[in-house]
Amino acid sequence: MNAPFPALSPALPEIFLVLCGFALLLYGVFRGDRSTRSVGYLAVLALVITARLVIGGADGRAVTFEGLYVVDSFARFMKVLVLLGSAFSILIARGYLERENMKRPEFAVLIVLATFGMLMMISANDLISLYVGLETQSLALYVVAAMRRDNAKSSEAGLKYFLLGALSSGMLLYGASLVYGFSGTTNFDGVARLLMQGNHPSVGLVAGLVFVAAGLAFKVSAVPFHMWTPDVYEGAPTPITAFFAVAPKVAAVALFVRVLVGPFGEMVGEWRQIIYFCSVASMLLGSFAAINQHNIKRLMAYSSIGHIGYALVGLAAGTEEGVRGVLIYMAIYVFMNVGAFAVILSMRQKGRMVEEIADLGGLSRRQPMLAAAMAVFMFSMAGIPPMAGFFGKLYVFLAAIQAQLYVLAVLGVLTSVVGAFYYLRIIKVMYFDQPAPAFDGPVEFEVSAVLTVTGLFTLLFFVFPSPILSAAARAAAALVAG
Amino acid sequence: MIVQALAFYLFSAIMVASAVMVIASRNPVHSVVFLITAFFNAAGLLLLIGAEFVAMILIIVYIGAVAVLFLFVVMMLDVDFGQLRKGASQYLPLGGAVGLVLLAELLLVLGGWVVAPSAGTLALAPTPAVEQMSNTVALGHVLYTHYFYVFQASGVVLLIAMIGAIVLTLRERQGVRRQRIEGQVSRRRDEVVAVTKVRVGEGV
Amino acid sequence: MLAAVVFLPLIAAFIAGFFGRVIGDRGAQLVTTGAVGLAALLSIVLFAQVIHTPTPQTIEVLRWIDVGEFQANWELRFDALTAVMLLVVTVVSAMVHLYSIGYMAEDPAIPRFMAYLSLFTFFMLSLVTAENFVQMYFGWEGVGLASYLLINFWYQRPSANAASIKAFLVNRVGDFGFALGIMAVFSLVGSVDFNDVFQAAPELAGKTFSFLGYDCDGLTVACLLLFMGAMGKSAQLGLHTWLPDAMEGPTPVSALIHAATMVTAGVFMVARLSPVFEYAPTALAVVAFVGASTAFVAATIGLTQFDIKRVIAYSTMSQLGYMFFALGVSAYQAAIFHLMTHAFFKALLFLGAGSVIHAMHHEQDMRKMGGIWKLIPITYAMMWIGSLALAGIPIFAGFYSKDLIVDAAWASGSGVGYYAFAMGIAAAVMTAFYSWRLLIMTFHGAPRADHHTMEHVHESPWVMLVPLLVLALGAVFSGILGFHLFVGEGRAAFWGTAIKVLPGHDSIGVAEQPLPLLIEHGTLIVALIGIALAYVFYMAAPRLPAALVARCRGLHRFIYNKWYFDELYQFLFVDFAKWVGFGLWKSGDGAVIDGVGPDGVAAATRVLGQKASGLQTGYVYHYAFVMVIGIVGLVGWFYFFS
Repeated sequence: MNAPFPALSPALPEIFLVLCGFALLLYGVFRGDRSTRSVGYLAVLALVITARLVIGGADGRAVTFEGLYVVDSFARFMKVLVLLGSAFSILIARGYLERENMKRPEFAVLIVLATFGMLMMISANDLISLYVGLETQSLALYVVAAMRRDNAKSSEAGLKYFLLGALSSGMLLYGASLVYGFSGTTNFDGVARLLMQGNHPSVGLVAGLVFVAAGLAFKVSAVPFHMWTPDVYEGAPTPITAFFAVAPKVAAVALFVRVLVGPFGEMVGEWRQIIYFCSVASMLLGSFAAINQHNIKRLMAYSSIGHIGYALVGLAAGTEEGVRGVLIYMAIYVFMNVGAFAVILSMRQKGRMVEEIADLGGLSRRQPMLAAAMAVFMFSMAGIPPMAGFFGKLYVFLAAIQAQLYVLAVLGVLTSVVGAFYYLRIIKVMYFDQPAPAFDGPVEFEVSAVLTVTGLFTLLFFVFPSPILSAAARAAAALVAG
Repeated sequence: MIVQALAFYLFSAIMVASAVMVIASRNPVHSVVFLITAFFNAAGLLLLIGAEFVAMILIIVYIGAVAVLFLFVVMMLDVDFGQLRKGASQYLPLGGAVGLVLLAELLLVLGGWVVAPSAGTLALAPTPAVEQMSNTVALGHVLYTHYFYVFQASGVVLLIAMIGAIVLTLRERQGVRRQRIEGQVSRRRDEVVAVTKVRVGEGV
Repeated sequence: MLAAVVFLPLIAAFIAGFFGRVIGDRGAQLVTTGAVGLAALLSIVLFAQVIHTPTPQTIEVLRWIDVGEFQANWELRFDALTAVMLLVVTVVSAMVHLYSIGYMAEDPAIPRFMAYLSLFTFFMLSLVTAENFVQMYFGWEGVGLASYLLINFWYQRPSANAASIKAFLVNRVGDFGFALGIMAVFSLVGSVDFNDVFQAAPELAGKTFSFLGYDCDGLTVACLLLFMGAMGKSAQLGLHTWLPDAMEGPTPVSALIHAATMVTAGVFMVARLSPVFEYAPTALAVVAFVGASTAFVAATIGLTQFDIKRVIAYSTMSQLGYMFFALGVSAYQAAIFHLMTHAFFKALLFLGAGSVIHAMHHEQDMRKMGGIWKLIPITYAMMWIGSLALAGIPIFAGFYSKDLIVDAAWASGSGVGYYAFAMGIAAAVMTAFYSWRLLIMTFHGAPRADHHTMEHVHESPWVMLVPLLVLALGAVFSGILGFHLFVGEGRAAFWGTAIKVLPGHDSIGVAEQPLPLLIEHGTLIVALIGIALAYVFYMAAPRLPAALVARCRGLHRFIYNKWYFDELYQFLFVDFAKWVGFGLWKSGDGAVIDGVGPDGVAAATRVLGQKASGLQTGYVYHYAFVMVIGIVGLVGWFYFFS
């Protein structure tokens, strides 16, 4: 039973990244805590090189490892987003780690390994590789969430995330086993072929699909599987929250899209109802529950729940336009969120991190550039033209309308109005409220660089949208056709 | 066959009963012991369907490692389970109802058991007959060829688990006395011994 | 040339308004007065042209609105009617501009004032040269705006603010009717172009349209709505209350806008639309009735007032009433003729009153004047000329036009005509009476002003007197000179197609036949009676008025308080509207719209937000429970609903 040795070149980025992770781990362990900064920079470098490898990979679709692994334009698009998100997160974390007595090289290593897990998820072409990728990612995330172990909130966050994540993994696995039981295969192509033959999907397969979708919905924190999000976002150290809000979300959305549109593409009628429900519930909760928050990290948690709701609008459409909308939405989402968290990371008074929205009071008079950047991100998240966030919403709603999901589109627009309330409130606090005590200055180099990049992207997206739009269109076409 | 059927029902019945007891018993140590019983019976069931490798792994890993660890934790931590259960009883009616609904739904799934016609042919590697190949060999064949990718990735998962355990628990505490062997070995007489002359009646 | 007349004032207003600081007071005065003066000269030339070649012409300025079936071009219509109006507007305006240089010399905001005046002139000119309803509406609203700005020119005075707002609001009522009238015309004819409407009018006569289940005569309804606009602008009974208050504006403004030009826009409009009104006899009867009533009521109020400008204002209103009942009996030419003569002598009276006020240190109450005729002889003479013209004494302009109007009302032979005749005669007595009352109280008798004021009474500068003289010329000669052309034998040739009178309606023609002697000279006789009475009351026996007032206290109070129109409106509309508005504010807007709408939604959002964040208990088992419920729900959904 000798199998041929699998082709490794399609998976080159993953292999490179995991090897980098090992090397950084060794380096970090030998050098000790002093190496935190250099490990961080090296990790960013590794992520950037990986992104380059992803972009430079051969065009078209490639399957390897006996059908467990697939790479196509869709995967490449999402992988680049994930890698960017991770790299940004490590960059903006540097100052925080040094100040908050968290100088540990394992931080960057764990993020690199988590990113590896995300790349696996995005490239999963089998329920097994999906699950292993998911666990690789999740395990690393549980650890980093609890990494500030002398802080009760952080430990609590890690534990909650772990317990609920285990529950969701259980659901996912149960669903996977049902799918395997009723279709006889775990391979996505196999399932797709089976459904393509015109077999009416059996009840068991539908149940399996529901469980798998529930497991994935947990990872994207869609309602009603979102409950962990606010607590974990609030409890985890801020740079880790930033990371949580960006990279794992993108990876999970990618996985969600791939699983539903790929193998279960023929069952769109069934899963659209799940997505529809999750989308509506997420948009509603994301906009309403955020109104009462005064902790900005918690607010961002609800905001991200809402954003996932909007992205799922595109997925609910189930068409190529819908997938394209999701891709554009996630791309813009990454930039806006990284930027917003970079600002939150600068909220530091007398050497202590502060997290209340009221602490932003009068920021425009103390640090006008920081306030302006935050205003740009908030306007964008509220979906106000010509900021990037508007276009994200525009494309998913357009797709929903084309798919005749009018109610969904209307609800989306209405909830974004409600959502605009709390985004604009932050701007109001920054520009019109009485000044709170000043933040410690100056903003670190990394943070201001990231702020500049993300801010310019968000602000000027409407000037040069075509690279993202065309890449997203290519990616969507690759997924829907393949 | 009758023996097998009898064994199946025996194992199943004991497993379900112990599972209930895991939740129901008041003493946490009893719960863990019932859990171990349940694992044993599950291993028996696995043996019955000819999955001897998985059965043994279950005993070694779950009973030998996981359950024993549970036992340690339960005995070492002073957790008042009665207190915890008080809250739980409050949710019993609703939780029980939801559980029942879920059970009914899953039964319906099983009741409508319609395997896709071509399901058998899709399987990646059909299990050979026991006569040709043992379970362990068969698994090994698949694990290192077809599932090479996930096998390697599992290694990464374990590595992460290890890193995580260290990161979350290892810490250097101030004021803790430790045996420093290299210090003991390398120290010299001059550093630690001082010869002084003590006069009688004066003390040091 | 026509375009130059219309747009010169606009350019001047633009320059004076926006560059007033640059060119200074003198510059603004020169630019505006020069531009309007030039326009006046051109208008005279145009008028002469019309006398020789009375063919109407149109000049297209630009394509303006073109939406679906709705088309409106900006075109200047030029015919005899336009020419007369151009002449009146530009000449009076030029004189007022000139007069203002002296009258407003001490005001700190001269460029603004001059710019407003010129802007008003532009709007008035674009109104009279309108080729379609929309363009007319533009001018109509424009003069309303200019009027508002000028009444409120001294915006520091609360009374000026109130007056300007009142003028604007009351005019809105009329303008609303006008707009509805335009819409009605458009829905009837499908065009707003005058030519199209005039052509279609004969066929529309008697055509009905259904509104809320009632069948109405389309043309009558449209004409009544249009007349409602005219009532507002021309201060006819019902919508007249703003005009006396508008006297808060500077006196030149009163002369230009609230005597000579803007208030006559309604008269002009009905005359312009004579081809339409002729086919709506009911509307004409209403016009005549309202005009006659206005003439009478305004005259009675004029008898009792003490503010010199208000007396003249009520007199204006009364004279406008004459014009309207002339229109109502199809004597359009007579109405326009009276419009012209009235413009001259009323502007003269106002400017003369302004000169008096100027001399008396801005004192307007006639009870505090008297005995100043020797001090300001020229003004005194001018006021005499104006009053003679107003009362309708032969040779003076008013005689020719007013006499004819009253005769035409008799000659029309209808019930409304006789009513109008009676009212006209009654108003004529009172007109003569209050004119001489004004003259005597202001100029004769013992000085009632304080010593200080009397010392400083002085004749106005020449820049103010010259306009008076020019207007006095008009007040004396415009009647004699214009009679033949406007209403005499030459009228058919002169007006051409500008005014249309159906054969059976030619009241002027009948009026020029010999009438009973008493009727023929009725106005003159009663005017002389009025003058004589005034002499007796205020010169010969000064105690009589007080005694009379004491005898008929109730009647006097009723008239003195302007027939309680303001109080009635206050009660009917203002208080009622406040009550309704307050109710709607509290219960409608506050409770229903805010409560359910924005505020309610916002509050509900807040509550929902609190509920939603309350879901987050912090207990892991709650979270897990929610997840389990979620999955159970989703699976259940597929079993039971799919």
